[in-house]
Amino acid sequence: MKPGPGDADASGLLEEFDRLRDVYPRQMSASLVLPLLQIVQQQKGHVTPADARLVADYAGVPPMQVVEALSWYTMLHRQPVGRHVVKVCRNIACALRGSDRLLAHVQKKLGVAPGGTTADGRVTFLAVECLASCGTAPVMQVDETYHEELDEAKVNRVLEGLR
Amino acid sequence: MEITIDDRTIEANRGESVLQAAMRHGIEIPHFCYHPRLSIAGSCRICLVKVEGVPKLMPACNLSVAPNMKVSTLAPEVGRAREQVMQFLMLNHPVDCGICDKAGECRLQDYEFAFGPPRSRSLDAKHHKRKLHDLSPRIQLDNERCILCSRCVRFTREISKSNMLGIVERGAHAVVERLDPESVDDAYSDNVIGICPTGALLSRDFLYQSRVWFLEPVRSVCTGCSRGCSIDLWRRKKEWRLRSLGEERNNMLYRVTVHENPEINGPWLCNKGFDQHKLATRERTLSPTLGDVPASIGQAIARARELIAAARSPAALVSAQASNEELDAFKAALGERFRVYAREDSVAQPEEVVEDDFLIKADKNPNSYGVRERFGWKALAAADAQAHDLFLVWGDWGDYAMFGRARVIHLSSFAPQRDRRPDVHIPLSMTFERSGTFCNFEGKPNRFEKVLDKPPLVEHAADVFAQLEAELAVLQRLPEAS
Amino acid sequence: MSGQAAQDVRTENVFMSFAVTSDSHTLDAYRARGGYEALGKALRTMQPGDVEREVTASGLRGRGGANFPVGSKWSFVNKESPVVYLCCNADEGEPGTFKDRWILEHVPHQLVEGILLAAFALHARHAFVYIRGEFDLALRRLRGALDEARAAGLVGEHILGSAFACDVVVHRGGGAYVCGEESSLINSLEGKKGYPRNKPPFPAVKGFYGAPTVVNNVETLANVPWIVARGGAAYAALGNKANPGHRLFGVSGHVNKPGLYELPTGYPMKKLIFEDCGGILGGKPLKAVIPGGSSTPVLTAGEIEALTLDAPSLQQAGSMLGSGGLIVIAEGTCMVRLLQVLTRFYRHESCGQCTPCREGTAWMDDILARVVDGRGQAADLASLQEVPEGILGNTLCALGDAAAMPVLSFMKKFRNEFEYFVANRRSLNDGRLEA
Repeated sequence: MKPGPGDADASGLLEEFDRLRDVYPRQMSASLVLPLLQIVQQQKGHVTPADARLVADYAGVPPMQVVEALSWYTMLHRQPVGRHVVKVCRNIACALRGSDRLLAHVQKKLGVAPGGTTADGRVTFLAVECLASCGTAPVMQVDETYHEELDEAKVNRVLEGLR
Repeated sequence: MEITIDDRTIEANRGESVLQAAMRHGIEIPHFCYHPRLSIAGSCRICLVKVEGVPKLMPACNLSVAPNMKVSTLAPEVGRAREQVMQFLMLNHPVDCGICDKAGECRLQDYEFAFGPPRSRSLDAKHHKRKLHDLSPRIQLDNERCILCSRCVRFTREISKSNMLGIVERGAHAVVERLDPESVDDAYSDNVIGICPTGALLSRDFLYQSRVWFLEPVRSVCTGCSRGCSIDLWRRKKEWRLRSLGEERNNMLYRVTVHENPEINGPWLCNKGFDQHKLATRERTLSPTLGDVPASIGQAIARARELIAAARSPAALVSAQASNEELDAFKAALGERFRVYAREDSVAQPEEVVEDDFLIKADKNPNSYGVRERFGWKALAAADAQAHDLFLVWGDWGDYAMFGRARVIHLSSFAPQRDRRPDVHIPLSMTFERSGTFCNFEGKPNRFEKVLDKPPLVEHAADVFAQLEAELAVLQRLPEAS
Repeated sequence: MSGQAAQDVRTENVFMSFAVTSDSHTLDAYRARGGYEALGKALRTMQPGDVEREVTASGLRGRGGANFPVGSKWSFVNKESPVVYLCCNADEGEPGTFKDRWILEHVPHQLVEGILLAAFALHARHAFVYIRGEFDLALRRLRGALDEARAAGLVGEHILGSAFACDVVVHRGGGAYVCGEESSLINSLEGKKGYPRNKPPFPAVKGFYGAPTVVNNVETLANVPWIVARGGAAYAALGNKANPGHRLFGVSGHVNKPGLYELPTGYPMKKLIFEDCGGILGGKPLKAVIPGGSSTPVLTAGEIEALTLDAPSLQQAGSMLGSGGLIVIAEGTCMVRLLQVLTRFYRHESCGQCTPCREGTAWMDDILARVVDGRGQAADLASLQEVPEGILGNTLCALGDAAAMPVLSFMKKFRNEFEYFVANRRSLNDGRLEA
């Protein structure tokens, strides 16, 4: 089930995988697929086909199942992303409170359209769907953190803080 | 219990779906993703039916029968739903029919004609996906033609268990994809071609070879192993053999499809079975030889008869590729004269699956059972071989070394590939050039029908044995020639 | 912190019964408010069946949007089964909805207690919280609460010294709205794509790894401690009789004080919008309200006159209570552009499994994108009726219906704007979405 210990790339991940495994009941190793992919995403910024196979072997599921899952969840990336990921909500409540304006503003500030990464690899900019913060719209998520009740000034402050 | 579908009351069994009950009674409810041997997907939505007392339309494939259930397939809302589902399926469908092999046997085509709307209402350009690419050396995939019924994916998950295929990406970006080119090919991969309801998955071997309406299937049996799966071999219909096509294309075997046989293989076949038609183009011997020298059949029979009459201790190696009828003919004609040995003509090749827990058996011959039934099974050991001065070898045989200096009469379809030539070689007809039966490893008889005419100088084994018997009988009545 | 309630704290509230401070979410603070007394009471003096009875008597209906009676759902589970699972659906994703996030951030122990009580009633040894992957503080607070609870013997073996044991596992989603659908959630939890399942079988019969499973919304479960503490009858007396209780209503869009408001069901909608929320931004007239999350049919200003926030009232008006997330739209907003925001959303979130939703959501968005771009044609107006009708009721799960209903309702109520846009290649309202 577990790949060989010689794989340098895998060993750091495997330690994290082991820590997670005990959270779930023994017979539910298949449920580890998404959490393991999230660990890879967290550590490496994206998930490669080799990572997918590692996860499949560890979780004891067919590799195709992991490839499918990897391609299907919005938060998993198969291509490298920037050091920071800026996700601006474009859904209805935020749209009613100016998200179009802010999306254009972020695009101008970063110099990339939604979906793109700045040339220096600093920021990936994404337009996303509802983040469940409608009462404090417009909202964006930068890496883990929600930034709410945004205006251009606040957006500027947040973006400038990203190294 | 009883249920009603439109105006027909039918008996239904607890636990079956409305679709299954309908199919059992020959009532057609259209379906793409449902397949009797695969899990229920319930995703195509073409099987939606109206149930009395239920406000929403229900998919017949996932609807358990209940006593006195009243199902309507003729209600206007059902027709409407079918039209809508067809419109959705055809929305981005490339309509490649003019160049797509599936035309004529395409469920999407059939249902579009039967249930589709009179015109498309789409004003938007069709979305494109990856067209016409190689899924494997055997299969072509066109993601635009695919309606994402997931039959192929479920097959690789549940039946062949290769997990070779999956559906990746979300929403309308979804596509069927293969795990990776490096992964071992699935020995049953070609089944997905048959179960695909559109021209998305096609046989690369059959690609552009013929329109299917010019062809007809003939029931046969795969000779690849002792499972003896039922197959259909496809040939050009008589009325569509045209002079302009030429000899080869008029008389070739175009492809193999599965012939569903609940007793033996169900609706499945392995790739080797799907390749059975290629045996017809394998290089074969077309005329008898005596040693190196071509001869007429009369000369070959005469020489063989001489050798048999002169032999003090003749042995026969019967073919496990032979039909029951041929084995009976041998037994009746020559069985008394020969010490009969059996062997497996064909053995597993290096790249072949030897045996699995699905269809493939280690014995790569179709009628070992028939041989064993008539002659027992004594394999020829080196010690036994020394005792004989004549070997009548029937079927493919690799190596005469064991025969020492004995004479050899070899009857086979394919050229004996060895340095030493047999004393007599008589070319035999192949399985599809005659009718007959095999018994599979469980002893189940399975019939195959003649598909092609044999070449003129090639003989049916049964005829050869009859001629030899006749000649030997004549010889018997003559005084012994010195 | 998520949308703050702007209303006064009321101690009889189910959720907002205290002033939020920097540590009001902790175990100590929760206990000081009477937290985990219901659990203690249940474990000491009640049978699992009693807990289910109280929940049934309370008339509590699911708060995720489907509004299904909770006691009924629990009753479908065969408690004799060797394994029963409880899943808490914290995959809040319905646009306009942000109440579960508040609960996770501010009263995570109330949720934990509700989970434990439900697990007790259902004989569930394991409970899972499927929390949307994007949540940050909510996840940390939930994990923190569970750590505290484990340390205090409230989760795990021998809870509060009783024979009852239950482990709670937090499982993060990967970014998919459809995973809020219970069978999709289960598939996702099993390590697969979140494709919804055909029903029957229903999760209560065959769910997580084939075992009977109950999936309940965060807010639903967070009601249970109050119900057990004070009795189902007391809960049934709150709010509207046909669907009783308190709900966390979220208001967003063009109001002066957007946010969460804990109110009894049956509360007048106009009052919420014009009093509690301080009316429309800039004093503009109200144009429309989407009453219960983006999937519910839109209502015009005229239609909400006498509406109360309960299922019967909204059903009668041709809409739904849904997830209780009201989206308020001021006069001057371009409904065509606004609808395209939604069609773009459903297109992105369609899982891709069944034909009508997969193809139909993309098609509707293509049409609207074209209209918004000034390239609409007269035939598109008919398509915007036919296509959603072809989806509605024909799909494997409710996402198809959720995608179809906004298109049908926007076209029904604001047809003139669509006609104008197509005829004139531009918006009747300058394409405005902001107030």
